[in-house]
Amino acid sequence: MLQLAVRKQLPGFTLDVAWEAGDEVVALFGASGAGKTLTLQCLAGLERPDRGRILVNGTVFFDDGTGTNVPSRRRRLGYVFQGYALFPHLSVADNVGYGLHDCSREERQRRTAEMLERLGLTGLADRRPRELSGGQQQRVALGRALAVDPELLLLDEPLSALDAPLRRQLRTELMGVLREWGNATVLVTHDLAEAFQLADRIVIYDGGRIVQAAPKSELLSRPASEQVARLLGVRNILRGTVLKATPEIIELSWRGYVLEAINSPIRTYLPLPGTEVAFFIRPEYVRLIRKDRPVDPGHHMNRMEGAVVREVDQGTNWTLLVTLDHAGTPAQGDHDLEIEVPKLVYEMLEIARDRRWAVSMHRGSIQVLPAA
Amino acid sequence: MDAFPILLSFQVSLAATVLTLALGLPLAWVLARRRFPGHDVVEAAVVLPLVLPPTVLGYYLLVVIGARGPVGRLLDGLGIELAFTWRAAVLAACIGSIALLVKAAQAGFEAVDRRLEQAARTLGRSEWNIFWSVTLPLSWRAVFAGTVLAFCRALGDFGITLMVAGSIPGLTQTMPLAIYDYVQANQMREANLLSLVAVMTALLFLLGLGRLARLRF
Amino acid sequence: MVKAFVLCVFTLAAAVGPAVAQSKQPALTVYGAADLTVAFREIAALFEKGTGSKVVLVLGSTGNLAKQIEHGAPADIFFAANATFVDDLQAKGAVIPETRQLYAQGRIVLAVPRDGKLSIPRLEDLRRPEVRRIAIANPGHAPYGRAAQQALQAAGVWDALKPRLVYGENVRHALQFIETGAVDAGIVARSVADTPAVRHVPIDPALHAPLNQIAAVVKRSARPELALAFLQFVNGPEGRPIMKRYGFLLPGDF
Repeated sequence: MLQLAVRKQLPGFTLDVAWEAGDEVVALFGASGAGKTLTLQCLAGLERPDRGRILVNGTVFFDDGTGTNVPSRRRRLGYVFQGYALFPHLSVADNVGYGLHDCSREERQRRTAEMLERLGLTGLADRRPRELSGGQQQRVALGRALAVDPELLLLDEPLSALDAPLRRQLRTELMGVLREWGNATVLVTHDLAEAFQLADRIVIYDGGRIVQAAPKSELLSRPASEQVARLLGVRNILRGTVLKATPEIIELSWRGYVLEAINSPIRTYLPLPGTEVAFFIRPEYVRLIRKDRPVDPGHHMNRMEGAVVREVDQGTNWTLLVTLDHAGTPAQGDHDLEIEVPKLVYEMLEIARDRRWAVSMHRGSIQVLPAA
Repeated sequence: MDAFPILLSFQVSLAATVLTLALGLPLAWVLARRRFPGHDVVEAAVVLPLVLPPTVLGYYLLVVIGARGPVGRLLDGLGIELAFTWRAAVLAACIGSIALLVKAAQAGFEAVDRRLEQAARTLGRSEWNIFWSVTLPLSWRAVFAGTVLAFCRALGDFGITLMVAGSIPGLTQTMPLAIYDYVQANQMREANLLSLVAVMTALLFLLGLGRLARLRF
Repeated sequence: MVKAFVLCVFTLAAAVGPAVAQSKQPALTVYGAADLTVAFREIAALFEKGTGSKVVLVLGSTGNLAKQIEHGAPADIFFAANATFVDDLQAKGAVIPETRQLYAQGRIVLAVPRDGKLSIPRLEDLRRPEVRRIAIANPGHAPYGRAAQQALQAAGVWDALKPRLVYGENVRHALQFIETGAVDAGIVARSVADTPAVRHVPIDPALHAPLNQIAAVVKRSARPELALAFLQFVNGPEGRPIMKRYGFLLPGDF
């Protein structure tokens, strides 16, 4: 159980965050410079917050009200640093056993050997960190942090130093280790896929503040704001005007079309007609209407027409940038919509040759965002 | 020729180097790892002995530790003689050489990745323990180089020693002072011989230590 | 390798240990002006033979030595190159006034390197253009330097020669400049000028204030009687011929 509320002022930057977590993996997600690492350092006692309170498993680590500030060495945390910060002058075994200096020699050797075994490092015990691959270094860092049997595990960008293929493999490995360990873990990352795969709960940071903290299942389907949607990398974020809003349906006016969207069941208020709202539709949910099939008005709701102005080969998919026929400035610079189609579809429909298309969006795919 | 100045110089320089390490390492660590008001002033003050003329430095030191100075009187009350003893020569050599150690060690400490020390902190070690298990092992070359330079500077100190320890033969006359005395008395044969000894020992020392740590001076 | 080296260093340190431990001070410590360097080595040796007490000579610039005595240097007796430094120490209570004594009057000479091209009999000849550099002791604090300045002023050449002057820290230092040929000429104490590398001619004592050299026993001395005995030895039948030989004028002779 982890409760944290800290405020810390640095020159040109203020961290002001509060969140809590149970025995689960929490990802602090956000761009670099958002205050994620600073939060970890406050948690670990390496930085002193100006104000706030940090509580881990019932122990107060920091409380400016009572003047409590438990020093780092007494917090019993496993901290895996960005770039790992392994001791270059010590062997793998001595790195892993470094935190066990209070134990007897036998105890230390036993626990070190156990940890090496668990992480598949037994054969490397006498190597120096510089003789290891990136993945092995990562495991040593993890072993060093877990060897002390910490109350809380802190991981700062544990995979960002690795190449992409290795990163995917180690992400899976790391997930296995975290599940097995099972205690509270805080993971700092700027990689959304990493956050989604490893974490149960995601806290989104932006400019030293939290913009949303939610279980990951909630996050993508219901971003708390346009800002969160943008941070999550959501594409096709658009702005329209409310024509009508009922608990079931919201009708929007956008680029001369009337769009119908299903209202969110948890929305607590209805936007007034005439207000501007943000909404988004995932590029893969925009459908191309095939010209060789009869038009089915029931199926093709929110129908629009336009032309492909640009396309990007994404490997297994193609991204099409489409501008609608209406006059006026396109909604997203030189285009109105991004559409993603599988390569197979791209080839079947001969999109490379045929540039004019009608598209439709199912009303369930249009997500109206809460006003900021 | 008397061997006393050679032996005295070695003992004084060794003692001075021990004293320099005892005072200089904590100072270098504080300068490298802590920010406090007056940091720049302390940093500049450490280098001052390299800038000031040694005899000037020696004179003011004498004013402080001499029989009429505040420290001198305090020590006298405790029955300790400092000025014009070999202990004063140690102090003089230490003051003359401490900047070399502090600067080298400070640079060495600053080059150690701070996250390594932070990692050690989260792993339950005290600051003292971290210094010996992480900081020093990773900066020992710089500290070692600084120590050797400080020792050599101590071996060669003239001006400060002359003022606070005097050039008393058989008591405080170190090798550089003896060489100067021989030159003054026109005993050039003795002066040359002693200079040769000084040069050879210094060279042997630097080469030996350099080999040892694969250092270049 | 590392062990061998550490062992070496500590063996060395151990060997030095006794050297310092036994260096208490059974001897008489004589602080003296640099111009006494040669003469006092002879006198001290004679005194040691006569009395059986060892003499340690600490010779240097009078001003420096006076500062050290003022701050507690372990001197038993101080032979200054003039009177003012002893006056100063007396005012500060560092020497015993009753023991104050004139022991010699110094003289200065005009000296040139023996293998130099110049043979210079008179001060006026220093103006010649081939004399590019002239060494004297620093007139700011060295008594012999002050006498040299006075002599040059009396000869009316001071202002003309000033740009060519090189100051030595003390009179021995100035002599070294001449001995090594670093300068073309110089003015030094008669007492130190008898070296193989130097030729010298006396300068008329009327051209400068008398260089009265004063000695006094230091108040902190643990053996003032022995110190006084040494002073009397210098001024007595054993010391006087030696002092005279090195060109000092002695009390009673002038």
